[in-house]
Amino acid sequence: MENATTPSPRLFTLVPSSGTPIYRQLMDQVRRLIASGQLVPGAELPSVREVAEEYTVNPTTISKAYGLLELEGLLQRHRGKPMTIAPLRRNHQALAQRLRQVEAQVDSLVLAARQLDLPVADLTRFIEQKMGDSQ
Amino acid sequence: MNAPVVSTRGLGKVLGEKPVLRGISIDVEPGSVVGLLGKNGAGKTSLLEVLLGFSPATSGTASVFGADSFSMPADVKRRIGFVPQQDELLELLTGAEQLALNASLHPHWDRALIDRLVRDWEVPLDRRIQVLSGGERQKLATLLALGHAPDLLVLDEPAASLDPIARRRLLREILDIAESPTRTVLFSTHIVADLERVANQVWILREGAIVWQGDLDALKESVVRVTITAREPLPAALGIEHVLSQRLEDRRAQLVVTGWHDALPAALEDRFGAEVAVEHLSLEEIFLEMHA
Repeated sequence: MENATTPSPRLFTLVPSSGTPIYRQLMDQVRRLIASGQLVPGAELPSVREVAEEYTVNPTTISKAYGLLELEGLLQRHRGKPMTIAPLRRNHQALAQRLRQVEAQVDSLVLAARQLDLPVADLTRFIEQKMGDSQ
Repeated sequence: MNAPVVSTRGLGKVLGEKPVLRGISIDVEPGSVVGLLGKNGAGKTSLLEVLLGFSPATSGTASVFGADSFSMPADVKRRIGFVPQQDELLELLTGAEQLALNASLHPHWDRALIDRLVRDWEVPLDRRIQVLSGGERQKLATLLALGHAPDLLVLDEPAASLDPIARRRLLREILDIAESPTRTVLFSTHIVADLERVANQVWILREGAIVWQGDLDALKESVVRVTITAREPLPAALGIEHVLSQRLEDRRAQLVVTGWHDALPAALEDRFGAEVAVEHLSLEEIFLEMHA
């Protein structure tokens, strides 16, 4: 892995008056910077606060963008340290997309499990067992 | 969900014969920055004044931190900082004297914060308030509202007489407050660009009624301009819902719709055998469309 340096918040160009919400602008730019290799795995991102101050924008919109990129698997969160670009895995986005396809079923499973007061550990074991059976 | 900081139900106010507020039901979550947008005379100031208990409502209810707005106990009032459009500074005092007076009224006055802001905002303290410029008065009035570290900061047109540099400094201070998950800011403005920077919630007030309330990002995502270009002349009734404005010329239609979703372009392409282009709008354009 390359030696990571902290990029300046000026890495981004945020236009508050655009029709595209600020968090979307930021997400698109992080994706593009990763795709173009300007942000490499392990590279640190400027903090929510740094970006919010640099552009005088509400910090919640910045943390929303970072949070969603983390959910997509593009960013990694570290306790008390800057977020970093996640290691590139070819199937990363594909995995997130595939997970999203079972989201509705998982939601109904979670609902049923709550109503039945099932412990998470037992339910997880049950799913693992079922998935093992079908392999 | 946390108890709302500000809550109203069916709030209305009539001045003389004229309704200035109509059926307003809103909740403000702790930690949010709400921008109240409306043209002159839309009722922004009236709404803030009723919320803060300066004037009574004609109908409905309003509460702040769970207490009825019009009979707020002192301990609730102490949690609020307010910057009115017309300041209530004491003309004959100097800035320093006015600050000292307000500090003496609050046991937890944040002297370090005020000292810093006096320097950063270049607030003159040695001259009588009556000789200060509009912008200098506005800065001083804002300091007075910040000194006791309010949980709810309410600003009525806070940037109206500030130059761009002072405005940016004020926005930074609002954002500082916004970083706290419990402190809440509510400000009225007609400067759309300021609202887009610092607010995460927006209320759009039109003729005393709220025509939009909610997430700023959601507003920008749900309002779009759609251009439909068909091979055949388009029917006068396009059968599209939630249309703010519509221009139809033969084979081309341009509409601004709310309630946008990703499935809409494909549906329209199918229905009219047409090309569909979608464009997101700035808050200023959305605001203008809502008044078209």
